[in-house]
Amino acid sequence: MNPPLSEKELLSMLRNPQTQRKAFGIIVKQYSQQLYWQVRRIVLNHDDADDVMQNALLKAWNNIDTFRSDSKLSTWLYRIVINESLDFVRKQKNMAAISSDDIESGVANMLMADKYFDGDEAEAKLQAAIAQLPDVQRTVFNLRYYDNMKYSEISQVLKTSEGALKASYHIAAKKISEYLLHND
Amino acid sequence: MMTNEEKIIQEKIGTKNPFLVPDDYFEQFADRLMEKLPEREVPTVLDGSPVEATAPAKEVQMKSSTFRSKLRIYLAAACLCVAIFGISLYFNRSQQSAEQEPVTAAATTNSIDDEYMDEAADYFMLDNADIYACLSE
Repeated sequence: MNPPLSEKELLSMLRNPQTQRKAFGIIVKQYSQQLYWQVRRIVLNHDDADDVMQNALLKAWNNIDTFRSDSKLSTWLYRIVINESLDFVRKQKNMAAISSDDIESGVANMLMADKYFDGDEAEAKLQAAIAQLPDVQRTVFNLRYYDNMKYSEISQVLKTSEGALKASYHIAAKKISEYLLHND
Repeated sequence: MMTNEEKIIQEKIGTKNPFLVPDDYFEQFADRLMEKLPEREVPTVLDGSPVEATAPAKEVQMKSSTFRSKLRIYLAAACLCVAIFGISLYFNRSQQSAEQEPVTAAATTNSIDDEYMDEAADYFMLDNADIYACLSE
């Protein structure tokens, strides 16, 4: 297996129209797994995550010439997939038009019935509770708690100040810990 | 250092990932996506060699500031052209009117002058003091 190319090498290949497509293929192979998990934790369902991933990466390809080297390539890709994921769930919520309690129990039941969900009922309810958090709280919680991402990196992805992110994470963690204690 | 909330979450759920994917999903994902990827047009210069696709950030910033300064020059030139056109139109109309209707020249000239003077004054944002100054020169 070839060692992964550095960002500098990939950018150099991207700038050359002759190697641009090949470079994008390498980028997809190198980053797709970590990007997928960001999407999956937001949209929850595998088939939806697969659709969102494809749409997001096609958008990245169509806009590859707009990528400026003022941020990392991975940061840029994270931003695209997270925005695409959040757009997807917003559309789903708008179409559902039911109460948040019903949404939470509906999500938990959906996860329990999902063959690609390996958790028990408590974990399904927890994921449903995380899904009810506002977008920024939910995203920063996922990135910080599960991926241990630094606030400085999250700030670049979400284009939000570190102070605001720390506050959002603290609120999210408080809500989730209270939920876990209440539902023990 | 972990907060109390993080400790509670860690104890109850840890960081276990409860989500699964189909077998070989990641191995096949890139190939599936690349099949759907549309071809991009390769822009070329006159001699057929490809143009660099993505410009480095500094070069783009420099091109952007040069474009902005050129845009200012073009806008200033456009305003000047409009002003010159407006003035020539005004004097042209005054001359034509004088040629076509010589009767009661003083009255006619006055009314035409007034009509176009008002318009010109508004256009050039002249007040009465400026107009008197021009006329006295």
